[in-house]
Amino acid sequence: MIGLPHYLLVSAALFGIGAYGALTRRNAISVLMGVELMLNAGNLNFLACWRFLTPTSMEPQVFVLIGLTVAAAEAAVGLAVVLNIYREHGTVNLDRIAELRG
Amino acid sequence: MNNAVVTAAFVSLAAVTLVPALYVVNARNLVHAGFAMLPCLIGVAGLYALLEAHLFVAVQVLIYIGAILVLILFALMLTRDVMDPQEGQRNGLGLWAGLTCGVGALVCGHILFHHPWPRIAEHPLGAHDQTAALGAALIGRYALPFEAASLVLLAALIGAIVVAKGSRPSRRGAVSQGAVEP
Repeated sequence: MIGLPHYLLVSAALFGIGAYGALTRRNAISVLMGVELMLNAGNLNFLACWRFLTPTSMEPQVFVLIGLTVAAAEAAVGLAVVLNIYREHGTVNLDRIAELRG
Repeated sequence: MNNAVVTAAFVSLAAVTLVPALYVVNARNLVHAGFAMLPCLIGVAGLYALLEAHLFVAVQVLIYIGAILVLILFALMLTRDVMDPQEGQRNGLGLWAGLTCGVGALVCGHILFHHPWPRIAEHPLGAHDQTAALGAALIGRYALPFEAASLVLLAALIGAIVVAKGSRPSRRGAVSQGAVEP
């Protein structure tokens, strides 16, 4: 019988994979891909808790909808920043972009 | 649906989600990694369908696959020539990051399976009523967060345009058509 812990485990695994990608990748766009995986894990967590704990209330769905909005905004602004960095520096390798290092 | 069907669907959807996700964070060729996000996001949409969140199946396909994934693939293709697939794609943090994330996920799993979750017998509303209730909540009790989200989207739209337009001409001659030459 598939219950809440199984969904939350998939969500935790997806979050771990995304965090691993965001921490270890050198390409800025790959880091953003890891962040997208983490945001998906968060939404999956919300909807699993909604289905198994409060199936008749609409609050979790509102949270997920607003989370999706923020994810879309993050992707648009993040990729615009990455493209601008590429134009200025000729690279998107995060190890070589160190202008703000003190 | 009986239990065996649900279990089989859940296990296959979890595999469709997690295996491509591992490929996304490990692949050397970034375009392949970008395309591997497609089955991963479709798997999450399938899990939403199993959870009876009907609206979010469509929203996941439209926003994540239709918008964000296409945006990521465009960005990968626009910046591809500098990232040689033969060159290493990782920084030196692989071991520690893997340890942290793996141990974190395992601890989460341990806690999840030992927590006494309440058993709720209720079922969510059907697709039509559920979407209607969500819409009513968005223009009723949650009108302010909804408007704030639209403001965030507007700010992100304007910010993305301003940032992507750039101020200086390109070092590599890659200025977009709309940019004004000084």
